[in-house]
Amino acid sequence: MALLGRLDWYNLARTTNWTPGSVTEDELFPPDMSGSMGIPLSKWESYDEPYKQTYPEYVKVQREKDAGAYSVKAALERSEIYEKADPGWQAVLKLHYGAFPRAEYSASTAEARMARFGKAPGMRNMATMGMLDEMRHAQLQLYFPHELCPKDRQFDWAHKSGDTNHWAIVAARHLFDDMMVTRGASEVALGLTFAFETGFTNMQFLGLAADAAEVGDWSFSNMISSIQTDESRHAQIGGPLVAILLENGKKEEAQRIVDMMIWRAWRLFSAVTGAAMDYFTPVADRKMSFKEFMLEWIVSQFERALLDLGLDKPWYWDQLVADLDHASHAMQMGFWFWRPIMWWNNPAGVTAEDRAWLEEKYPGWSESFGTVWDVITDNLLEGKKERTYPETLPMLCNMCQLPIASVPGPAWKVRDFPLEYKGRSYHFCSEGCQWCFEQEPERYAGHLSLIDRFLAGHIQPPNLEGALNYMSLAPGEIGDDAHNYAWVETIRAARQKAAA
Amino acid sequence: MAAFPLTSNFQGDFVLQLLPVDTENTMDEVAAAAAHHSVGRRVPARPGHTLRVRRQGASELMSRTLKVSESGLKPMECIEVIWE
Repeated sequence: MALLGRLDWYNLARTTNWTPGSVTEDELFPPDMSGSMGIPLSKWESYDEPYKQTYPEYVKVQREKDAGAYSVKAALERSEIYEKADPGWQAVLKLHYGAFPRAEYSASTAEARMARFGKAPGMRNMATMGMLDEMRHAQLQLYFPHELCPKDRQFDWAHKSGDTNHWAIVAARHLFDDMMVTRGASEVALGLTFAFETGFTNMQFLGLAADAAEVGDWSFSNMISSIQTDESRHAQIGGPLVAILLENGKKEEAQRIVDMMIWRAWRLFSAVTGAAMDYFTPVADRKMSFKEFMLEWIVSQFERALLDLGLDKPWYWDQLVADLDHASHAMQMGFWFWRPIMWWNNPAGVTAEDRAWLEEKYPGWSESFGTVWDVITDNLLEGKKERTYPETLPMLCNMCQLPIASVPGPAWKVRDFPLEYKGRSYHFCSEGCQWCFEQEPERYAGHLSLIDRFLAGHIQPPNLEGALNYMSLAPGEIGDDAHNYAWVETIRAARQKAAA
Repeated sequence: MAAFPLTSNFQGDFVLQLLPVDTENTMDEVAAAAAHHSVGRRVPARPGHTLRVRRQGASELMSRTLKVSESGLKPMECIEVIWE
């Protein structure tokens, strides 16, 4: 029997809305869970997306992708890629695996929200596959690092991080809980799939896979590429939704969620991806700076996507672009200086070669962040290592939960963005984070940053030991300099040579 | 006497830091406490200069002998510690 071509039946088969008889429409699709914004069921049926994948195709393709990722891993197991990798690249892996796998399960919940409560049949169909995608991503990114645990205990954080109060995980959870698991289907589609995935992860995973290939980590590169191809499909869920919302007079609501989540995603990426691209990846293997990457892929291309869909550039766009000059450097500096409270060994990334690269990519770096690294380097050269550790905590932003940091040195630009709300003082790193809070203050007001928890007495004893214990950092997991300070000796040798 | 947390924004440093002080501390003592966490760690010392305290964004410096309890500062308020 001849089979119909896919396009002859796909749209009809996907049209699965019906008129509920035994319950009301709002009982079937509770507005809070659907994010329906008062748009009636019939209006959602024009939702369309470009992939039009069928479930049998999905299963076939996913099976092939999984087989590819696992077979490359198996084939390379004896090649000692990890052991031979630069400690900077090892730090990229540890940071990535600690930050993301458990969040993939949250993303699966987010896709499930759309699969059940989305009012557009096409969205429910796409999100069903997206839900399975995210489970696959969690499992891949838990299994791969699991095999590295015997080699390095810090990889245990891939599985353990989600259950801890580690400051960086509190930051990631604050964003992901907000974006993925506590909003209606429409807000999830706008925030997760359109702002976060289209804007950030889809592109970032492309860059990460390229970097991994450059350093020779084919196993990781292959796995990340395998994930990215899923992302590029299910990231398409949000775009068609924007069209429906705009057609039904909901541009303001769509713009607000998109603006909030782009800002929030940007802050997290400045820490995770920024430091990895500009410092962790060995300088010889860096394809482009974080700023170049952001300008090309996010600022330029994503901006076009926003405008093409009928949305506007976010109000803070110029500020975001200006922040590209310093955000990754400030986060990296915080990671390194507070290295005992990281689950990875943080590279300094300031050899003479690194510094030349940083100055070339970020003109003025030497006069700003370079001055701070000068003090740190001199302390290490003079045997004053104790002066390279902190004795207090950095202030954390009450929205992104990251350190409130900016440009040091003569052009000092650090500042607090304070806000009083119902008798409590909040501190933000930026106008953008403060604005996000002010959009929905009751949603965020109850959360305590790690600093708030410290001051409230949750961390006992109130010292480094108490902090490590609170954050579940066990002996053998606590971070230090990734290269065991070998970079200091290269600088010492260069100075001695110059003096001679 | 009571513990009093402030937020230190030290001139030339890259990050705000939690600064535990005491209500009886003078602004000179507050500046010295802030310097402990920044100078010689990430900010080079400036011999011959004095450290002064002001509220974030203010142009007026606080008196060097003013006590925290007399300053009107709120817990965790951000102070700027600058070289003079």
